[in-house]
Amino acid sequence: MATEEKKKAINRLAVVREFRALVDKMYLDGIEASRAGAPTAWAMVNWWQGDPILKAMDVVAIYPENYGAACAADGAAEAYLERCEAEGFPSHVCGYARNTLGYTTKMMELGEIPAEAPLGGMAKPVVLLSSGAFCDARYKWFQALGRYMDVPVWVLEFPTPGVKESALEGVYEYTIKFMVKELREFVSFMERLLGKKMDWDKLSEVVDNMEQVLRLWHEANELRKAVPCPMHSRDFWTCMVPCYYMSGEKESLELYRKLYDEVKQRVDGKIGAVADEKYRLFFAELPPWHSLRFFDTLAERGWNFVIESLYYHAPLPLDLEGVSDPLERIARYVHQVLAGRFPGALRAGEATTMVSGYLEWVRDYKCDGTMLHPLISCRSATFYLMHARDRLMESLKVPSLVVQGDIVDLRVFDQAQALNEAEAFVETMEHYRRVRKEEGLGW
Amino acid sequence: MAENKGLARAREIYQDRDKRAKELRAQGKRIIGYFCIYPPLEMITALEMVPYRILGDMTEAITEADAYLPTVVCPFLRSCFDIGLKGRYDFLDGFIGVHVCDECEKVAHLWRYYIKHPYTHFIDIPHTLHDASFEFFEAELNTFRKTLERFAGKELSPERLQGAISIHNEQRALVRELYELRKPDPPLLSGTETLEIMMALMSIPVGEGNQLLREVIKEVKERKDGPQKQSARLLIWGTPIDNVALLEMIEGCGSNVVMDDTCVGTRSYGPDVKPNEDALKAIAHRYLKDIRCPRTFKETGETYRADLENRFNYLKGYATGWNVNGVILQSIKYCDTHGYEVPAVKDYLEGLGLPVLFLEHEYTMVALAPLRTRVQAFLEMMG
Repeated sequence: MATEEKKKAINRLAVVREFRALVDKMYLDGIEASRAGAPTAWAMVNWWQGDPILKAMDVVAIYPENYGAACAADGAAEAYLERCEAEGFPSHVCGYARNTLGYTTKMMELGEIPAEAPLGGMAKPVVLLSSGAFCDARYKWFQALGRYMDVPVWVLEFPTPGVKESALEGVYEYTIKFMVKELREFVSFMERLLGKKMDWDKLSEVVDNMEQVLRLWHEANELRKAVPCPMHSRDFWTCMVPCYYMSGEKESLELYRKLYDEVKQRVDGKIGAVADEKYRLFFAELPPWHSLRFFDTLAERGWNFVIESLYYHAPLPLDLEGVSDPLERIARYVHQVLAGRFPGALRAGEATTMVSGYLEWVRDYKCDGTMLHPLISCRSATFYLMHARDRLMESLKVPSLVVQGDIVDLRVFDQAQALNEAEAFVETMEHYRRVRKEEGLGW
Repeated sequence: MAENKGLARAREIYQDRDKRAKELRAQGKRIIGYFCIYPPLEMITALEMVPYRILGDMTEAITEADAYLPTVVCPFLRSCFDIGLKGRYDFLDGFIGVHVCDECEKVAHLWRYYIKHPYTHFIDIPHTLHDASFEFFEAELNTFRKTLERFAGKELSPERLQGAISIHNEQRALVRELYELRKPDPPLLSGTETLEIMMALMSIPVGEGNQLLREVIKEVKERKDGPQKQSARLLIWGTPIDNVALLEMIEGCGSNVVMDDTCVGTRSYGPDVKPNEDALKAIAHRYLKDIRCPRTFKETGETYRADLENRFNYLKGYATGWNVNGVILQSIKYCDTHGYEVPAVKDYLEGLGLPVLFLEHEYTMVALAPLRTRVQAFLEMMG
């Protein structure tokens, strides 16, 4: 009875089941493709830069980052982490990387996918598609995999101008030019590897699908500004996966349409994701995948997590009328992840789009507090959290609860302590609600 | 006017790094601070400003930076930021941040937010060595040129730039000449002394650095009081070393550190800017391709062995040229760029028949003590 009540604490979207099934199918497709001798790629999350190209060339992509989260949730990660450390990699490196390195070592030793690997495991790929976006692990780790398998690595470049520099003459244009040229090189590389030419019409279709998925996903998340919020972060984290990994699939587009419709219905019916929404929270950065029921406990207390960090969301919509080259469309959309936020950051005088984004969203989504989750093995996602905490308080009088954890290593996250601290944090949120009212901050 | 010369002068500058920079500032010179070894120093020198490398301080407890940065961030960068927040870099007229690793990138952005200088610029640097990467980097350097010119109030003409390239190349040649003096057995100067000289060079104008190097080279060639012969001749690889304590500890255990692969050493001074009519193109090529740092992705070979050769074969030259018989891989904790590299570089070096020790440390004086036992055991094992 208690377990049933816990499950109902968050009113999950009905469509989430279908999203889960689609993600599970993604893993199985990878295994089947490999068994059938079809080419597979291990790909980093590349913010839509490489995936459309893989899709257009009929290469099935498998995502070790997501697989790391799956292993953590399944309880399988620990053995892979230990194996990775035994191979000589420092224990502080990314949990997803350690999971993959440990998994790969075992797979290559056995000559087959380990029997205990969750979700059917990850088959040996023909290419490792890494990305220079946001953290060094995302290309160094794939480079390190060369120790275990002779598979070529391609690094997708992700230019990262400073906020101030983004506004200087010519910077946007030469950045896009660079990205387009790099994508052309990547296409040539894949053509040589696979011994076949790119189907440019197919790529255009895939990119069109991707753009529609991103727009729908963006619009669905805009609806979460409603009070009560119709969709909890737990649903976001499930439903974001196809947006990243399967944006070129028609099935994904259908699901995002369904999701949008369901969220819209809830907004119209004033149905919240939490029965009695007392507090609205922003969560940064990646959640404790291994302990997601933590949020159910908080939901019982009326905590509704209404929005999450910027870079897991679709970029701001972009008008690409007149741009017919699919590679240029990809480049502009990918760069929009940052470029769409630079003007806001410049106006606000902020150091980084991540923090200016937090400020905008905490205000727009009327958040009473933020839960900041520094990740011991993900410095990239953790880096700005203390600065963000200070800026949120200085600028908006919104308090933050800091709960240390990790993306994969469940030993780091102390759920009991976090729940205790959350209890005390309620008073803090109440206090600053009064302060915001007094200061005319609007919510 | 400096009274000391040669090694004594190098030590003097090392011990009080910002003294000369502050004197120059008082005389009206502009001092431009920079992170890492990727900002093109030639461009700063050409506009008659003084490049000054921002480093940390292992002897100073990190206090203020902890309010802004998580403790799982590179302690070297946390230290740099910490002493910046404490005002120790207030004498800088400018700050240049670079995207060399993602932590350096992020600290650069926070630096600009919390520590104010009249001039700042951030240079994005590609990770790969494709043709498009060089074009992009040249464009970034051109953007940097424009903001630097505006601040300096003068044009960075091709003639000025070629002149600056010459003088910086001269320094690199002098450093390579200095490093030749570490080849004999025993080496004519210690790893500790070499580090003091390198850090001195990163703290003073390039012309003064060249003069210092000539004095040091002459003195060292003639000295009778150099290091003692030790059976262990070590190469030190890895993250920035900006305090002699680590090398003093290693050499104090009974070794000669005869060579390095770090950015306060060969990575910074190894390659020249090659002659080219297009100076910016030449600079882009030198900084992006010729600097050997694990932050730059080199295309994988067809096999793991081919990949190791492609990435690390210069270490064979160091090992044979300097008669190295052991290697210490040292890394500041939380460095991903070097952390992921360790098993591969270890494989390569062990493939050459070299014993290898990996030390990870937290960039504090206290952190060095427990490493001593491991170094001693390693040297014993080496025989």
